[in-house]
Amino acid sequence: MDEVELKRQLERAHADCFGWAMACCGRDRDDAEEVLQTVYLTVLDGRARYDGRSTFRTWLFGVIRRTAASERRKAWLRGLLLKREADGMKPEAPASPDAELDRDSRRDSLRHALAHLATRQREVLQLVFYHDLTVDEAATVMGVGVGSARTHYARGKARLAVLLDDMKDFDDDGRERAS
Amino acid sequence: MMDERELRSRFAQLREADQESAPGFAQTYRHARERRSRRTTLLLRPLVLSAAAVIAVAAIGLAYARSLSPSAATPEIATWRAPTDVLLRTPGSELLGEMPALGTSVLDTMIPKPSNRGT
Repeated sequence: MDEVELKRQLERAHADCFGWAMACCGRDRDDAEEVLQTVYLTVLDGRARYDGRSTFRTWLFGVIRRTAASERRKAWLRGLLLKREADGMKPEAPASPDAELDRDSRRDSLRHALAHLATRQREVLQLVFYHDLTVDEAATVMGVGVGSARTHYARGKARLAVLLDDMKDFDDDGRERAS
Repeated sequence: MMDERELRSRFAQLREADQESAPGFAQTYRHARERRSRRTTLLLRPLVLSAAAVIAVAAIGLAYARSLSPSAATPEIATWRAPTDVLLRTPGSELLGEMPALGTSVLDTMIPKPSNRGT
């Protein structure tokens, strides 16, 4: 695939890639943009080559996932070197006051619930529900076996449903709603 | 319990929100290229500086070595004369520099002959 064709494919998948990069970066927009820039450079420089074993999008999602993980490790090491407390995985971080305020919206409650899932569960659900990938394709992106991906999918879906149900029962201030 | 359709609907809303706020491909691509050129400059700068430092050190070393080399000083030493050499000249030293001849006197060479003594 030459550079023009690569660029065309990247452009076509861009919006989808941004959504996946957001998911891989704990929904941090700046981090997601930086990861996406690094991925585009990696792909266009030929440091990551599409070998046609999966769809272009599945392959690209895998590159985004690995790049985000690499960036997270670098950020953690930088934090360690500077004797700062590492940011760690943002999804597991407690929600900001702003996020708490927006919790009543369906979209934000989903974000909040996703942040409470295990990383693999969150990834597989994002890939299946958000990006309409099959569980098999999600397994390829995540670099795990299909069986493992199916387990994460089933457990994640059940856990997410419970979390979202729980959130329905509480108002903005975290008080239980009268039923 | 929330069903799969409800989950899909929520994820679809999240996707729409993300796509609305997503930066354009051209913008991301431009930033990526800018980052690459910045990174190249940053990577090249220490290389250029270290190469310049190596060249400077080599030039200084060469100049120093050349100043110490004997080839430049040898001709000067060969033609050099000590200021006290004049003290080694002794009177009559020119007599020792040539072969004495029979029938002549040393004095002939030391005393100048009168040009026309008879007149």
